[in-house]
Amino acid sequence: MKKRYFGWLLAVLLAGLTLSQQGPFQQRVNQAIQSGGSRFAEAMKQDPDQALCSIHRDRLPPELAGAFLERQRALIKYPANGKLMGDWKQGEALFTDPRKGNCYACHTGDPKEAGAGLLGPGLVGYGQRGISEPVVKYTYDKIYNAWATMPCSLMYRAGVHGILTPEESAHVTAFLLEPASPVNARR
Amino acid sequence: MRTDRSLITGFLLALAFGLGIALTQQQEVDPFKEAQRQRELFRQTAGILPGELYAAQGEELFAQKRGPRNASLEACDFGLGPGKLEGAHAQLPRYFADTRRVEDLETRIASCMVRLQGFKLAEIKREDIKALSAFVASKSSEMPLRVVPRTSQEIAMYNLGRELWFHRAGNRDMNCSICHDAYAGSRVRLSPVRSPRQGLSNEWPAYRFEADKLYTLQDRIAFCYVSIGIAAPEFYSEPYIALSVYMLAEATRGRNSLTEMPGFTR
Ligand code: HEC
Ligand code: HEC
Repeated sequence: MKKRYFGWLLAVLLAGLTLSQQGPFQQRVNQAIQSGGSRFAEAMKQDPDQALCSIHRDRLPPELAGAFLERQRALIKYPANGKLMGDWKQGEALFTDPRKGNCYACHTGDPKEAGAGLLGPGLVGYGQRGISEPVVKYTYDKIYNAWATMPCSLMYRAGVHGILTPEESAHVTAFLLEPASPVNARR
Repeated sequence: MRTDRSLITGFLLALAFGLGIALTQQQEVDPFKEAQRQRELFRQTAGILPGELYAAQGEELFAQKRGPRNASLEACDFGLGPGKLEGAHAQLPRYFADTRRVEDLETRIASCMVRLQGFKLAEIKREDIKALSAFVASKSSEMPLRVVPRTSQEIAMYNLGRELWFHRAGNRDMNCSICHDAYAGSRVRLSPVRSPRQGLSNEWPAYRFEADKLYTLQDRIAFCYVSIGIAAPEFYSEPYIALSVYMLAEATRGRNSLTEMPGFTR
């Protein structure tokens, strides 16, 4: 039994090694994706950094990180009025809405919200770090483009993909940082 | 048969929902315990599980002479010899010399309907495939998984599946690995997620009481694609087969067994 597993594992590893150099294997992958139909194929199209993350199984080698972060930082847009903290009440709705932020899928926020996901770090009391400019900017940037501070983060790039506009990102930033927000309610 | 089933399930579901709501108001429910409870409810009130109804329907379809060739599916070879169904589901997907393809349960049923019964792929009803899947799977209930890629075609399919598993795309920048590897054992909202090594994909086809429908593994994969904003592949296409080989080979390496077949889940 053991031997057999080892055998095919070896074959798989070898195949993986020779094939990961792009070329015929990538063509074969594309062919498989095409076989899923045009709507699927369209949705599976990658931008270059999505492709890079996939190749490296979401663990980007350190030597590629600098350029990656730079490319991602260049994608961040800011609100026209320059204010990175918007209205926390609007932010709360955006944070919760599954079709907008959908942040509860992975984060706690308002401690009263039951059944929050645990894939991301908990955000209850996030505002404890204050509202200094670097904190506000870090938070805004994380929400607009999570990959600009963490290559291949599990967190998606809400602003880059237009799920949140710059103004909306500022509202969500406020929801996390405003002392009055339920995220930061004293318990 | 069909009306019977929906009548019974409709009635039971109304009952189950009443209870379900009362329960969720109290506290978060453990999804596995909740599934157990719903299952017992069906057993006690109807004496039969919805999945078993599908399987019974599939058994009828399997033996019936149908299609342009007026043939049954009894000669269909699922990898253990024509008509040998015992344990067949536990070793699928696998390579088949007659179609020169790696096929999963659903694709194999479809290709047998084409080759033996003379149907055209486009005219095969999805509902028939589901019922037939439930029936064939029922002959492998709780058996240890035995999906071990051996032929070059199977190994190639495994590699394809692994590549798709890590393929980040869509406006949610997602891939399967994010939820099912990085945070296996954790939760997305209320749902606990498993990794392939932990047995992911070992409970299909299954009756999902939340949807009141039978889901095959392809249906379940489609559901995950749609939930991350990616239009699902067309049924019986390679992405499903590749992902199934990958997940079930990993589940085999994790020494997992199939659950009760058809499964019963949320
Ligand atoms: C798919 C899961 C997922 C979703 C959805 C998600 N995040 Fe995240 N988030 C993470 C992970 C994982 C991290 C840690 C890695 C990182 O910094 O990128 C994180 C990090 C963060 C951080 C930095 C935390 C810290 O302590 O520095 C903030 C702020 C944040 N997320 C806010 C949000 C907001 C707001 C949303 C909704 C627009 C959101 N996240 C949606 C997974 C997610
Ligand atoms: C956003 C997170 C997420 C992503 C991404 C995701 N899934 Fe899932 N998946 C889930 C959740 C949640 C469940 C339901 C678990 C439950 O309720 O038991 C699930 C269930 C499943 C199941 C059935 C559960 C089982 O135990 O057999 C399969 C199979 C599956 N996913 C495969 C995939 C595949 C293949 C992909 C990539 C195309 C994928 N998933 C992407 C979250 C995700």
